[in-house]
Amino acid sequence: MRAPNFFYKGLGFAVLKRRVIKIALPIAAAALVLSACGSDDDGDKKKDGGSTAPGNSGGGNKPTWTIGFQAGLSGENAQLGINEENGARLAVEQANAKGDLPFTLKFKTSDDEASETKSVSAAQKLIDDSNVVAVIGPAFSGPTKAASPNYAKAKLATVSPSATNPSLTNPENNFTAFLRGAPNDNAQGGGMAKYLSKKLQVKKVFVVDDKTEYGVGLSKVAKDELTKAGVQVVSDSVPKATPDYGPISTKIKNSGADAMIYAGYYQDGAPFAKKLKEAGFNGPKFSGDGTNDAQFVSLAGDAANDWFLTCPCADANVEAATKQFTDDYKKRFNTNPSTYSAESFDIANLVIDQMKSFGAEKITREGMLTKLKGASYKGLTKTFKFKQNGEFDGATTFIYQVKGGKIGYMGDIDQLVGG
Amino acid sequence: MQPDEILDYLIPGIMLGALYAVIAIGYTLVYGVLQLINFAHSEVFMVGAYSALLALTWIDPSTNPTALVSVLLVAAGLAVSGTAGAATAFALEKVAYRPLRRRNAPRLAFLISAIGASYFLQNLAGKLFGRDSRALPTLFENKKVFSVFGTQVTILQLLIVCAAVLMMVGLDYLVNRTKLGSGIRAVAQDAETAGLMGVDIDKVISRTFIIGGFMGGIAGFLFGLHLQLSFTMGFLPGITAFAAAVVGGVGNIRGAMMGGMLLGIVESFSSPIFGESWRYVSAFAVLVLVLMFRPTGILGERLGRSA
Repeated sequence: MRAPNFFYKGLGFAVLKRRVIKIALPIAAAALVLSACGSDDDGDKKKDGGSTAPGNSGGGNKPTWTIGFQAGLSGENAQLGINEENGARLAVEQANAKGDLPFTLKFKTSDDEASETKSVSAAQKLIDDSNVVAVIGPAFSGPTKAASPNYAKAKLATVSPSATNPSLTNPENNFTAFLRGAPNDNAQGGGMAKYLSKKLQVKKVFVVDDKTEYGVGLSKVAKDELTKAGVQVVSDSVPKATPDYGPISTKIKNSGADAMIYAGYYQDGAPFAKKLKEAGFNGPKFSGDGTNDAQFVSLAGDAANDWFLTCPCADANVEAATKQFTDDYKKRFNTNPSTYSAESFDIANLVIDQMKSFGAEKITREGMLTKLKGASYKGLTKTFKFKQNGEFDGATTFIYQVKGGKIGYMGDIDQLVGG
Repeated sequence: MQPDEILDYLIPGIMLGALYAVIAIGYTLVYGVLQLINFAHSEVFMVGAYSALLALTWIDPSTNPTALVSVLLVAAGLAVSGTAGAATAFALEKVAYRPLRRRNAPRLAFLISAIGASYFLQNLAGKLFGRDSRALPTLFENKKVFSVFGTQVTILQLLIVCAAVLMMVGLDYLVNRTKLGSGIRAVAQDAETAGLMGVDIDKVISRTFIIGGFMGGIAGFLFGLHLQLSFTMGFLPGITAFAAAVVGGVGNIRGAMMGGMLLGIVESFSSPIFGESWRYVSAFAVLVLVLMFRPTGILGERLGRSA
């Protein structure tokens, strides 16, 4: 008998059909949940290899300490995490190569796939390794929010080069081990508002966020600052991975706004840019550091042209102070440093600097946390100092514009606007 | 929303709906002959898109193609993605479903096998092509072709809707007028009797997968032109298209077309009316409403009888 049993008439079609509908919805829901758990766990296996640099073998019985690193290294929007990983890795390798450290330094990465759900276990991996004395990351705000309670409990300091959501440093969160290595979105949102209202003198701005922790935070600040400056604001939220940016683009065009801000990441910014161009919206288009990556341009093609991209980061390829870093980075990774590479390099050096200050003493997590909080370190990109709640002390926003398929550096917004 | 803006949202809605409809047909065809929800169909869609990416980046390095070259490139993309989709679906049936059918496995086993195949293909693509999004090369400058009452229609929109309509008309003809079509209908109506009457059930099932895969692959390519590619790109359109198939009446080809259009248009209009974040809420509210009043979907008939 070749026909399988469910072809028999006994399991009639009508029954099956009603059943399939009853089953189908829960299955669809389950599939949605499951899809959030697919994992790619060989990410750090191959990357752990290069952690001990040569030139370090004469150390005898020097202790070994590890700097942890958490970011999304695979999955969507992984490029920012990889930029940061490379920057930090370079700093660790250079420190080991110099040979004057009183300890051997290791570098351990943990991939959170830029996902809030995976962030907790990614953090646990670093917390469980008692050799880890400080962590660079997490890269994104959502994962940072998810993992910070555990880091706080473990008293393991995390210094993030790029988690810029303002609420992360709210005292009621009790994220006592979180230090922000960049000005938060208030600075970026404020910078955008300033540039739009003072320099471009627009009357009406359409603000779109992507419903992520980062996007909502950035858009809120931008909206508040624009309203304060007397600019009319319209807004909407487009959750990321929307299948069609056509309707929202039409809506922006029809709203009569002079300019728009997209508070989200490049992954969705790129198709959005394409559809905005098709819809014929020609006003200035702004986005933040989540979009400030070469991937944005390569995905969006021509449609990326003329977009303004802000960032708390200066361009390592242009600024004179980072020339040496850029050369070393290119030599090591065969690519130019990109968004947050230099900042991450700086933060790694800041951490190493604090570790050195222990001298002959045993380095403890708690000791590191205290030292980092009180640190003041002049890096290549900026001076790193922290407020009591872990907030970055200082606020500078830089602006870039895409021209002819390249993200061109314009400079410090305050200087460009003139005050 | 102003009344004169209706077309601004209707046209993208029709475009998205056409894509959903083409994918939904893949679910419905397989359901018709096998009473199986082929969850790996969303990966057939993704494979179609990536195969077109590989082929087109290999053929085309020019950034500014002329009109003739554009037409050829699009044709090549359609052919490659359709073939790859068909091949994937064919292999899927051979590897993931046929061995289970031979052993009279319980229905749940088919479902698990489908989900397993889906994850396998998804992560294989992630490994091979990278986890970051990719964009298809520029095949044509996507300018407007004509306007309808002041609303512009772009080349891409026209291309997607035309391709979808052609495929659907072709499929309708194939199912209703050809020998293979009567075989499909016969298997859908009563596989056992069809087998006794001399229909080669295995062959019919295999070909049904090929047809669905061909359409799914092309839909993947068109969706890639419209948005971009990533290894998870099949998931959301797949779920929505599956919902569309259910709305129209699972196992019913014309129902799948209607369901797809309906959901696409509802999603598009949810943006100006409720706000963009209500997109899926509106689409799935329609799903629930339809099922409340017509539990078997709008057309509510199976493949065998719809003809």
